[in-house]
Amino acid sequence: MKPILEINNLYKSYKSIPALDNINLSIKAGEIHGIVGANGSGKTTLMNILFGNPIIHETGGFQGEIIYQGKKINFKNCGEAILNGIGMVHQEFALIPDMTVGENIKLGREKTFAFTDRLFGRQYSFINRKQDDESALQTLIQLGISIDPGIKIFDLSINLRQFVEIAREIDRTDLKLLILDEPTAVLNKNDGLKLIEILKGMAKRDIGILFISHRLEEVQHICDKVSVLRDGKLVSQYERGNISINTLARDMIGHIVTKAAAGKREILPQPIITFSHFSVEMPGEEIIDLDLSVYEGEIIGLTSLSGHGKLALGYGMMGMYPVQGEVYYGGIKIANMDAKANILQGMYVLPDDRQGLGILADQSVENNIIFTGNQVKNMFRIESFFAISGFIDHSQARDHVDKMIQDFDIKCSSIYQKVKELSGGNQQKVCIARALTVDPKLLFVAEPTRGVDISAKEKILHMLLEINRSRNTTIVMASSELDELKRVCDRIAVMAEGRIFKILSPDASDEDFGLALSGEEGVAYEEL
Amino acid sequence: MRIKQQAKGFINSEHLVPAIFILLSFLAWQYSGLSGNFVLNQVITRFIRDGILVLSLIVPVVAGMGLNFAITVGAMAVQTSLLIVIGYQVEGVPGIILVIIIGVFFSALLGYLIGHILNRVKGKEMITTIIIGFLFNSIYQLIFLVGFGTIIDVPNKDIILTRGIGVRNTVDLGMYRDTIDKLWLLKIGGIEIPLFMILIVLLFAGFIFYILRTHFGQEVKAVGSNTETSEILGINTNMIRIKVMILSTVLAAFGQLVYLQNIGMFDVYTAHLNTGVISCAALLAGGASIKSAKIRHALMGIFLFHTLFIVSPQAGQNLFSNAALGEYFRSFVAYGTIALALIFNVKHENKYKKPVQKPEGV
Amino acid sequence: MKNYSIKPPQIIISAFLITLVFLAYTLEMNLVILFNESLVKLVMNGVLVLSLIPMLNVGAGMNFGLPVGIIGGLLGMCLAVNFRMTGFHGFFMALLFSLIICALLGWIYGLILNRVKGREEIAGTFIGFSFIPLMNYFWTLAPFQNREMLYPIGGQGLRPRISLENYFNNILNNLYVIRLGDIEIPVGLIGFFALIALFLYWYFRTKIGRATIAVGENEAFSRLSGINIAQTRLIAIIISTIIAGFGICVYTQSYGFIQLYDEPLSMAFPAISAILIGGSTGKRAFIFEAVLGTYLLQSMYLLTVPIANEILIPELTEILRSFITYGIILYALLVRERRRNNG
Repeated sequence: MKPILEINNLYKSYKSIPALDNINLSIKAGEIHGIVGANGSGKTTLMNILFGNPIIHETGGFQGEIIYQGKKINFKNCGEAILNGIGMVHQEFALIPDMTVGENIKLGREKTFAFTDRLFGRQYSFINRKQDDESALQTLIQLGISIDPGIKIFDLSINLRQFVEIAREIDRTDLKLLILDEPTAVLNKNDGLKLIEILKGMAKRDIGILFISHRLEEVQHICDKVSVLRDGKLVSQYERGNISINTLARDMIGHIVTKAAAGKREILPQPIITFSHFSVEMPGEEIIDLDLSVYEGEIIGLTSLSGHGKLALGYGMMGMYPVQGEVYYGGIKIANMDAKANILQGMYVLPDDRQGLGILADQSVENNIIFTGNQVKNMFRIESFFAISGFIDHSQARDHVDKMIQDFDIKCSSIYQKVKELSGGNQQKVCIARALTVDPKLLFVAEPTRGVDISAKEKILHMLLEINRSRNTTIVMASSELDELKRVCDRIAVMAEGRIFKILSPDASDEDFGLALSGEEGVAYEEL
Repeated sequence: MRIKQQAKGFINSEHLVPAIFILLSFLAWQYSGLSGNFVLNQVITRFIRDGILVLSLIVPVVAGMGLNFAITVGAMAVQTSLLIVIGYQVEGVPGIILVIIIGVFFSALLGYLIGHILNRVKGKEMITTIIIGFLFNSIYQLIFLVGFGTIIDVPNKDIILTRGIGVRNTVDLGMYRDTIDKLWLLKIGGIEIPLFMILIVLLFAGFIFYILRTHFGQEVKAVGSNTETSEILGINTNMIRIKVMILSTVLAAFGQLVYLQNIGMFDVYTAHLNTGVISCAALLAGGASIKSAKIRHALMGIFLFHTLFIVSPQAGQNLFSNAALGEYFRSFVAYGTIALALIFNVKHENKYKKPVQKPEGV
Repeated sequence: MKNYSIKPPQIIISAFLITLVFLAYTLEMNLVILFNESLVKLVMNGVLVLSLIPMLNVGAGMNFGLPVGIIGGLLGMCLAVNFRMTGFHGFFMALLFSLIICALLGWIYGLILNRVKGREEIAGTFIGFSFIPLMNYFWTLAPFQNREMLYPIGGQGLRPRISLENYFNNILNNLYVIRLGDIEIPVGLIGFFALIALFLYWYFRTKIGRATIAVGENEAFSRLSGINIAQTRLIAIIISTIIAGFGICVYTQSYGFIQLYDEPLSMAFPAISAILIGGSTGKRAFIFEAVLGTYLLQSMYLLTVPIANEILIPELTEILRSFITYGIILYALLVRERRRNNG
């Protein structure tokens, strides 16, 4: 049977950083093909290419070929993909909140009055609301859901929205290939099973299905074939009957050769900060229920799959997003997350989005490094009658900045150079230097080596170790790079679906990490 | 709990604003001493004059582009067309048809241009449309006050100023006045209801109702709700926005034509000046907001807003023996309504924003 | 001043200006008098343009709500004239009254603008527009005592134009003028302008000033660094409003008449256009941009009047002014948003 989709030698890079490297994949009609991969594996990029997300085209397109239904394709936008019978169930739901369930399901395929079709064409013919809603209802019933098609999306619960998202694609008669991105992530077990049955039904109708999920048990259950991606490469493929959860977990992570940069040490379990039922409402990266105690003086790693919450902690601490639950710092409960108060108390957050909120790109290295210290703690102020106005004592500032530049080997032409001109690694060093200027007791760092070249990576990890060892600064390090976490952390907390799933020791096996990231307990041995 | 929610839902801007207008209008009317019939007749006339103009604002709001102050450009387009036709002395019915054809052509073209500009300034459409309106006004003046008589020459010298350069301030539309205005006049007591014209306005309202209930209309609503999601759904958001502006500008052209025809006099340099603000204020008075506008808002809004407009000067005269105070009230109501709509609306903006699917590491 | 690049608006305006100067020369106009005038016009309008800087830098956009500050200044002057304060004393008191009133107005204006983040410009436009008719009530009904300010018998309220002849007309203009041949340099006037510019320069080097620039540059970063965004914006808006109040005082003392009622309606646009011509993108502004832009724009205005009169189409001045003003603003809007979407 000829494959409905053939991917040959697919290669895609963003600004010379490869996201997909020599991917070869094929899907037959009626086949349910699973894609499994951890952070940075290339899953998202693959989906974007197949569905014609304009960002692919805007960043230089891709190399290699994709043959869909026997023809080479290169979609420039989602409309083209949709016209060709490709459908997508998005992780973040492509639903229009102000419109009703029925409208969302039938968008683009509304039932219209025939005579206006002939008069004005499909685009401008009058919609038959009643028929439209009825048709939508039919599709919903197919899914085993009966909700009133007249309800607006923003009034629906999350799992019902997931079903509406799916209904929209099922409603299509021209569907040949369906891509599903984490379709069961928000569903409970029963609903998840319901969905799987529906997908099986669609496969029977010869629709090719690309099923992306982190829930390895499901993948094992439903897929005819599974491909594991890691770091943009296709590392393994398994057929039904040969799919083992443990193997998938191991393949996802790969074999990490780590030399622990710091030896194992004893950390006194004296908490510096404790989170109890803590939640952060960061869209796309929610923390749902966090219970964690961070010990004084330790470096604790925080990792999860993308979107499962690791990045939200720091932002929540600085009041960027609404939080709930309790946080005890130094034994005292924090009433509300106020950035200034928290900095004064000794906390500091280095965000993962360095370009976006980590630096003042148009300002000098000097200004960036002294900024927070000056604003919050009135450092580098000219102490005089006019101290209240806060003029900068430039010689004092310069001395401090020069020392920072020297200590951390920040490569810049002068302390007045604009930070946007520095390399990623040096920018990150500037950020860390700014953090150090306020001498924090507790430092939240997220993705410290993202976008940083190899040599700078080493330096930065070393900087963090230095800070921890010499100043006893506790560090909470959120990262998707397991190898670097293993190198510097005393403990690594693995989050899945917004909660801490397991706290592992840095020398736990790759398989353990893979399973923990997927939220799977794994089994001692497997029935194959 | 449900009653409380219902009550809360009732006291929102959609109902509150019209209620305030009704109250103010009633009070001002009482103080003005004007007869109910007089006021009603005036309002009906305004309804006919401004109806289509206000209706032309609806679709841009639905498309998420806010208040389209650039409808003045559509007005100017049809005025240009009118001046050309009068300039070449094409009279009667062929004249009117020609005006419509040229007017539609110009306004569609300009609408296309405006659509393109607005696509570059997403999020700042409203301030841009105001500036566009002012800018095109200068260009319009340049053409007709300076260009006519110098670079552009027309056979009909009646419309040129005595000094030879520039179109006159007022051009008489006598030949068009009283043709269709009083068609099918219905008299109830002292109230005159020109049915034909009202039906014309309602026809345009029906047209908007229709267009919003098509596949195109659904795409417009989707774009207005969330642009990023619409892109993923395969909708060409930029194209939709351009089409919306073309629609709005062309409708404004029709609206201004009806307006001028009804007044019978064409103030070349001032007829279009406050179109944008007055129409927007009327729409908002009916309960619309910068994010949501329905046909009933437009139709009701004209009644509410213009009633207040009509009675204010006399009320000012009676209350303070100073008609000017009534005038100030009118300006304040017009600008103030828009200001309040802008201030009290931004709250619901970011509620449903979801991040675009970004690949890791980018 | 580093990395300053010449942008299209400046090239166009400069080219236009050079053409006008050339035309003026060929039409044998008195260039010296025009030059003297241009200096006065620079300061007259310049302070209003300077007032835009704090709001631009804090990220509140172009201050289309300039009428708010202008009205504060008008009120300050009316109070001074009402109490028959003349000369320096009068002008100084006008400034003081303006300061207090504008601080209050700016505070309210700032609170409102903090509510409408992202829509400051359009909201400001209509806040300004609606404040004017509201103040028209005040001008008409408020109990001013000075007969010279009021309508003659039969009328009610303040006159639309109140002469400063007996009060502080030209008080700064005539303060310490240096004459070099035919050229007159109004040192007092320029000194006042320099004072305000210096204040702004000093302000942006204070802690709050630097926070202001950071907020405008990257709000999320600033929040993460513990800065109180709302407060920083509020302070910047208040300062903008106060300087606007001063600006109208300087303008009026030179013009000679306090202009009330609907006059402030169109004053925001030329000021904004000026700073854009000076090179500001609408997102950040420097003092020298305000100076340069005001000088270019005002000189252009100055030259078009006599030339247009020569060609016998006086309206041309006004139309060209409008065209250039709005064209520049539209251009800036396009460029700024394009940068924002690409960056």
